[in-house]
Formats: sequence, C-alpha cells, structure tokens
Amino acid sequence: MNHYIQQILDCSEVWALFIPLIIIYQNKNRIAYLKPVRIYIWVALILNISIVLIAKRNQWFSLPKYPNPEWLGSNNFIYNFQSVVRFFLFSWFFILLNQHLFKKVKRIIPFLFLVVGLINFIFFEDFFNYGSFSGRLISIEATLLLFYCLVYYMYMLKDDESSFRNSPSFWVVTGLSIYVVVNIPIFLFYTALLKQFEGFTVGIWDVHNITFIIFCIFLAKAFYESKR
Amino acid sequence: MNQSGDIRFIVIIAIALMLLLFASFLVALIFSQRKKIKYQRSMEKLREQQQNQLIEAAVRSEETERHRIAETLHDEVGAILSSAKLHLLGIKENSLDEKDKKLYEKGRELLNDVIQKVRGISHNLHSNILKEFGLNEAIRHFLKKVTQGTIINATEALDDNYQTENPDNDISIYRMVQELINNILKYANASELIVSSSLTDNELDLVIFHNGNGLTQEQFEELRYRKEGLGLKNIQNRVILLKGKIHFTNGDEGYRINIQIPLKLQEA
Repeated sequence: MNHYIQQILDCSEVWALFIPLIIIYQNKNRIAYLKPVRIYIWVALILNISIVLIAKRNQWFSLPKYPNPEWLGSNNFIYNFQSVVRFFLFSWFFILLNQHLFKKVKRIIPFLFLVVGLINFIFFEDFFNYGSFSGRLISIEATLLLFYCLVYYMYMLKDDESSFRNSPSFWVVTGLSIYVVVNIPIFLFYTALLKQFEGFTVGIWDVHNITFIIFCIFLAKAFYESKR
Repeated sequence: MNQSGDIRFIVIIAIALMLLLFASFLVALIFSQRKKIKYQRSMEKLREQQQNQLIEAAVRSEETERHRIAETLHDEVGAILSSAKLHLLGIKENSLDEKDKKLYEKGRELLNDVIQKVRGISHNLHSNILKEFGLNEAIRHFLKKVTQGTIINATEALDDNYQTENPDNDISIYRMVQELINNILKYANASELIVSSSLTDNELDLVIFHNGNGLTQEQFEELRYRKEGLGLKNIQNRVILLKGKIHFTNGDEGYRINIQIPLKLQEA
C-alpha cells in the first residue's frame, strides 16, 4: 500500500498539473495576466514528465542506472532549468498584474536574477551537476518569488478592492506562496542534507510534492475563478 | 539529541515557522479584507438610506405641492369661476340680440367646461377618495373616470382584503397606478385594460394588463433615465421608497406590469 502511495507521490509533479489543465481546457475565457501561468503549466508538464521518466528509467524501462553521458542519468539539471523558467514566467505574471507597488523593482529583479545565475553557474556551480540540483539557485528563486507574493499581498492590503478572494491572481499567488514558503528551507538545505542523510532528504521531497499538488489545486481554482 | 537529529529538527522547524508566518500573514489579510467589506457595506447601507430619504422627501414634497395646488384650484380658482358663472347667469337673456345670445350661450358653456375641468384636476391632484375610502376605491374611481366615454373596456379585480396600514404608502401606490394608466391611455392604443391585485401575508401584488403597445422592461429601464421620462422616474422612485419591485413583461395576449409591494415594511 505504502509503495503505491509513494509511486503516486513520486509522479505527482506530472499528474497534479492535469488539475489546472482540465480547468484551462474547459475555460475559454483567457485573462491576459494568466498567460505566463498557462505557459508555465505546459512547460512544467513537459519538464516534469522528463524528470519522472529519468528518475524511473531503471525501475520502469530497465534502462541503465548510469548512462553515458553521465548527466543524462540525473534529472537535477531539469530542476535547475525549471527553476529559471518558473522564475521568469512568474516575474512576467507579477509584472502583468500592473500593481504600482515596487513596480520598478519587479522589473529589475529578473535581470539581477539572470546575472546572479550566470555568475553562479560560470564560477561556482555546475548546471549539470549529477549529484544534486542547485539548492542555491532554487532557494534564491523561491525567495524572490516569495518577495513578489508579499508585495502582492501588501498591495492588496492597501488597495480598496475588497473582493480579491474572487480574483484569479489571488489564488495563483496564494498557491505559489504556499509552495515557496514550505520549500525554501528544503531547497536551502537540500544539498547539505543529501550528503549526510539521504533517506531523510528523499523523504522530505514528499513534502515538496504535496505542496506542488496544493499549488496545482490553487492554480486550478484561479482558472476556475477566471471563468466567472 | 545527536547532530543528525538536530539538522532534521531545524529543517522541520524552519518549514513549520515559514508556514506559520505565511498563515499569519494570510489571516491578517483576510481579516483586513473582512473589515473593508464590512465598512463598504455600512457605507453602502448609509448611501442607500440617504438616497431613500431624499426620494421620500421628494415624493412627500411633491404630494404636499399637489395638495396645495388642488386646494388653491378648488377654493380660489373654483370659487372665482363659480362667482363668474353667477354673474353670467345674472344677465337677462331676453335683453340680448341673436348674436349676443349665441355669444352668451358659448360663454356659459365654456365656463361650465372650465369649472368641470378645474374640479377634475383638483380631485385628481387631491387624494380625498383615497383618504376616505382607501386604495381600492380610489383606483376603481380613477379607472371609471378616465375610461368613461372611451373605447377602452376597463375592468378591475382588486383584492378587498387589503386594508390600509400606511396612508402615505397608499398614496404612492395610487400615484403609480395613476401614472401607469395615464400612460396606457396616452400611448398604448389599447382596447382592453385590467387592473387586479392580490394580497398575500407579506406583499400586495398589483397587476395592470392591457392589449395595446406597452413597454418592455428594457424600454422602461432606458426611458426612466431620459429627461422626458419623468413619470417613469417618479414611478421608479416610489418603488424604491416602498422597497418594492416593478416588472414589465409582454406576451402574446398583451403587456403586463407587475408591482410588488412588501407589506411588512409598510407596517414598520
């Protein structure tokens, strides 16, 4: 029983994305600022399918555990890539919301992130590291996304608009906030933990998967609200 | 606790703390939103109250003005006209030649007409029947008066269980019926008119049906915002004042105007 639950959780990064995708398919009403989120869902689906296929290649298809080139045997570089894509798409989303608070900062941050990312991968880390994804990159990305989310909430607190709970953007931001808030410590300590406590670290990844499911449910809710 | 236990504990605590901080932030946001909604609702209520007070003041002052004009017409203009008639009747017809006799006859006829007209206007403006005999009788009387001698076949089926609770509100209902029937007579080109009412525990439902060219709800909504749609605007104001509803519908047989007036509010 536990084995099946674990399999379902391991694949949650793929199947959970179908929850918002079903709502998107049913909903013909396209809100402009949700376009980056729609693109993210499709990109994430492709990347997460690759992640799961690489992770389960030996278990499901009996492919070699250590292929040549070596980096093909690890899905960590896809996590790195997904982190970059997610950051830029959600930055675009927050810019499209056109909230006046920290407007310039929100436009500068993606460029800063790009510079910091390039410096990190040129001088300090390997993008295609076999052993682990870049905890530094992903935790910086999550922190910056959390900053965007907090700015969004601050704007909402100041704004006169009272019915923001019916606003699709509120559900996107809340889902994203839950995801990044829980995962910042995981991303931050992941590399260090993996070296010392592999079992615990693999176990804690289930927490990441659960928050990803929650994130997807919130995205679905956002697209559902955009229908109304 | 060993070192490995410490790190795991720190990670879990960090996750829990982050989650807690975020949850607190979200709760604060929701509370602030609720506060905002509450404030907006109270402002909305206040605005509505003020609007109702303004409408009420406008309707009441209009009614007072109608009474004042009716009384002036009846007591002053009416009295002068009656006196003029008396003076005219004092002329000896025998002393007049044929031409003057004709003029005298015409003058008397016109004076009688004016006296009748002034009396009619005065009665229309004044709500004596309404005050003495109630809403149903006033509507019956009005219907009979305006359709007498016309090609319109007017009938009524008013619920006599209705008892006046608030005379001021009855005036508003009566004025609405008056305005609507006048409009039907002026513009609808109808040959059949039915005014009916039914009383339930909570409301009075008035229905005005006719087979002419009436208004649809959309036309009513559009016309009441126009300058020339003053009568319709007054109807809408009275509906708001009575916290009622008005609905215009059209079917194969004709046009129907439904007015629903809540009675509990009348009592309040």
